[in-house]
Amino acid sequence: MFDKITTFMDEKLSVPMAKLAEQRHLRAIRDGIIATLPLIIVSSMFMVIAFLPNSMPAEWGITKFLMLHQFKILLPYRVSMYIMTLYAVFGMGYSLANSYELDPLSGGILSELAFLLTILPQTIPAAGEAITELAAQTPELQEYLSSLPGGFLMPMGNLGSAGMFIGILATFFAVEIYRFTQKSGFKISMPPQVPSSVARSFEALTPTAVVLIAVSIITIFLGIDVHSIVLKLVTPLISASDSLVSVLLIIFLSQFFWSFGIHGWSIVGSLARPLWLVLLEQNTTALVNGTEVMNTAAEPFYQWFVMIGGSGSTIGLAILFAFFAKSAYGKALGKTSFIPAVCNINEPMIFGAPIVMNPMLIIPFIISPMVNATIAWFATSLGLINRVVASAPWTLPGPIGAFLATGNDWRAAVLSILLIILSVAIYYPFFKMYDKDLEVQEHEEA
Amino acid sequence: MKVLLVCSQGMSSAIAAKALQEAAQKKGLDVTVTECSTQAFAEEIKNGYAIGMVAPQIRHRFDVLKQQADAVQIPCVLIKPQGYTPLGGPKLLAQIEEALGEIK
Repeated sequence: MFDKITTFMDEKLSVPMAKLAEQRHLRAIRDGIIATLPLIIVSSMFMVIAFLPNSMPAEWGITKFLMLHQFKILLPYRVSMYIMTLYAVFGMGYSLANSYELDPLSGGILSELAFLLTILPQTIPAAGEAITELAAQTPELQEYLSSLPGGFLMPMGNLGSAGMFIGILATFFAVEIYRFTQKSGFKISMPPQVPSSVARSFEALTPTAVVLIAVSIITIFLGIDVHSIVLKLVTPLISASDSLVSVLLIIFLSQFFWSFGIHGWSIVGSLARPLWLVLLEQNTTALVNGTEVMNTAAEPFYQWFVMIGGSGSTIGLAILFAFFAKSAYGKALGKTSFIPAVCNINEPMIFGAPIVMNPMLIIPFIISPMVNATIAWFATSLGLINRVVASAPWTLPGPIGAFLATGNDWRAAVLSILLIILSVAIYYPFFKMYDKDLEVQEHEEA
Repeated sequence: MKVLLVCSQGMSSAIAAKALQEAAQKKGLDVTVTECSTQAFAEEIKNGYAIGMVAPQIRHRFDVLKQQADAVQIPCVLIKPQGYTPLGGPKLLAQIEEALGEIK
């Protein structure tokens, strides 16, 4: 009976739903954003270093040194994570064009063009006569004026997470135009004797012209600020994603897919990752600017307080299998899956135990992460731990990752350890039952 | 013979790859196993593999990955859940033999 229900749900519900996430535009967003994750992780570490003084005695030499050079230490962050949409757009355009079997490089470049046309360069006007006169009398003003950069300047604000949604729309627009011009034959074609690389560069001329003219008309000639319009539309969505209800819903969905053996986090992440990145980037920006860090539920929150040991807070189950299993199979599984679990890889357990389609283990698999999330949510909102401001590599052991992700907060590491113990407790009764079952089976077979 | 395992980020497949490698060595078979992420699969599969194997947790992506493998005429199979564990090496090996015939 149970088998029939699960097979039915697997075939009719979870697989079709999971396939939705494979839609090419969603896939392009996922690929583009995932391609920027190394940038985000490495530049997060610059943040961690720059803000080490917060957790070190003020009189130490290294503290003073870091404080003095904080601005410079953060510059690499400014050209990487701070403007991550600039990078993501190229990746999204590349992936989307590739999925249409168009030249991916042209797709990336066209998307970048459409995106940058929504953020126009500006110039600082030269100082007028009155200002120059004043400056002659005030050395401070003189110094300020000479520190101003000349030439064209690109405001960086919307190149970061704030521009993410425009980045996505710009990519779709550019690549769809590219596809339309290719498919409709509305393009400059070369005779077959021309080398294919040359022919390709000519083929990209029409879509480039269309994108350039269309977006210029919107942003330059009609003067429409698409960023502020879209920001108004997505702000409610962003704040809704930062609530306990959404956190629990996201975890439930992810665990639901995993219960059928489908990578739930990757599916939920395809949709939610743009929002998580906005939440995280707002936090790091607040930290760098010295204002209050506001958001709780950016991806590192899930990573370090919910998915300890992998989706489902399975670190508890891994500890139980490794140290408390009585059955031969349980012991063997524990031995091989404990180290991966410390690094938050739990497929060995999900498919090995298995948790998939296993009514005994699915219950704690869904409950444990939701309990952890609720506790971590209140610990954060009561100010017992810092909010997440950095993205640490997800294969780090839980307490270390929690420490780094919260900007070096040792209390977060303590919370992580407490949640690990709690996860052991939640899995314990179910593990006991299952291990007993395995033992009985082994007896019967022997 | 070269085998390519693909999972979401090429992390968990590394564990299954090791298990398969060991199982093959035990039987004295010449099998080299590599793992990669979904994003890298389309390019990597072009490098002379005998078969591509897709991790069970990304089976909703199987169709897309299979197309990419079909494009270079490489067989592509979905790994059975029971084989995708550190102890599943022999099962993975059996699945390869099921798809390609006996390995020499």
